[in-house]
Amino acid sequence: MHEPRDSGELLKAAADDDQRAWDMLESRYGPRMWATARACGLSEADAADAVQGAWLRLLEHLHTIRDPSGIGAWLATTTRREALLILRKGRPGVPLPEVVPGDPDPAAAVLEADISRRLWNAVSGLHEPCRTLLQLVAADCGNRQVAGRLGVPVGSVGPTRSRCLERLRTLIHQQETVQ
Amino acid sequence: MINEEYFLAALRLAAGHDPLPEHVSAAARDAYGLRVPQAVTAVPAECPASREVRSADGCKMVRFVAAGLTFDLEVTVGDGLIDVAGQIAPHPGEGSHVDVRTPHLTLTRRLARTGHFAATGLPPGWLSVVCHRPGQPPVQTRWVRIRP
Repeated sequence: MHEPRDSGELLKAAADDDQRAWDMLESRYGPRMWATARACGLSEADAADAVQGAWLRLLEHLHTIRDPSGIGAWLATTTRREALLILRKGRPGVPLPEVVPGDPDPAAAVLEADISRRLWNAVSGLHEPCRTLLQLVAADCGNRQVAGRLGVPVGSVGPTRSRCLERLRTLIHQQETVQ
Repeated sequence: MINEEYFLAALRLAAGHDPLPEHVSAAARDAYGLRVPQAVTAVPAECPASREVRSADGCKMVRFVAAGLTFDLEVTVGDGLIDVAGQIAPHPGEGSHVDVRTPHLTLTRRLARTGHFAATGLPPGWLSVVCHRPGQPPVQTRWVRIRP
């Protein structure tokens, strides 16, 4: 059995005509790219465009990625940028973040899948604006993007986020008590 | 007691509750077949006629520049399909042709002496044009998203 291949190694192989390496990159990062696009508030069709757009951008830069080992963060950041471009076309005025290669990878946090699933189910049970706000936070959108998306002042995002997290905490506690 | 930062990190990771659809995954894998070896990428440039603005009739102008070539594309969206009328200037040379590409369909067109070409009935979504020149590297425009 082979050891899992390093992402940088996969990228180099993909640049050298290795379809299998490309497929492995897709398996490794596709779900996270989808989550990033969806959590920016895109519909399934638009999220599909954002993810596809990020892969096409990678094709354009296949031989010029400066840090191959950071390809996961590059793909996540590019997906977020494509998602926000799509959002901006639908809603002029949505601010765009600068794409910074090497953004922190959300997967660095180690959490049990079951906990994550329950947490997300609880978010889905919240009323607006908490549901959308926490979805945007999950996509690492900054306060300005969140404010633009919700149509509220930037200064109100932090306090609202705290209140929403408190409601989420209460909801999860109630669900755990019932079980 | 779960603190706020932990909660936020959990939320970010938990965003994975919404599984990647199979057709999106398949499209990403198929995209690998769209690479053009040795191609020079033409980047978007200011288009004096329209500045990439879509007019009332659904027509959009986009310009790309690279390797001394300028690609002007006039894209029309109607009836769920897109039509492309383009010009490459200066003419890239005798024997040149273009591929008008989407992830699902590629149409090959010869260039007129004026550098004009046209392709109709393309599916909406991502679009790119590749100019093939005898004896020189191909030039491809960046992918651009065209939706009604």
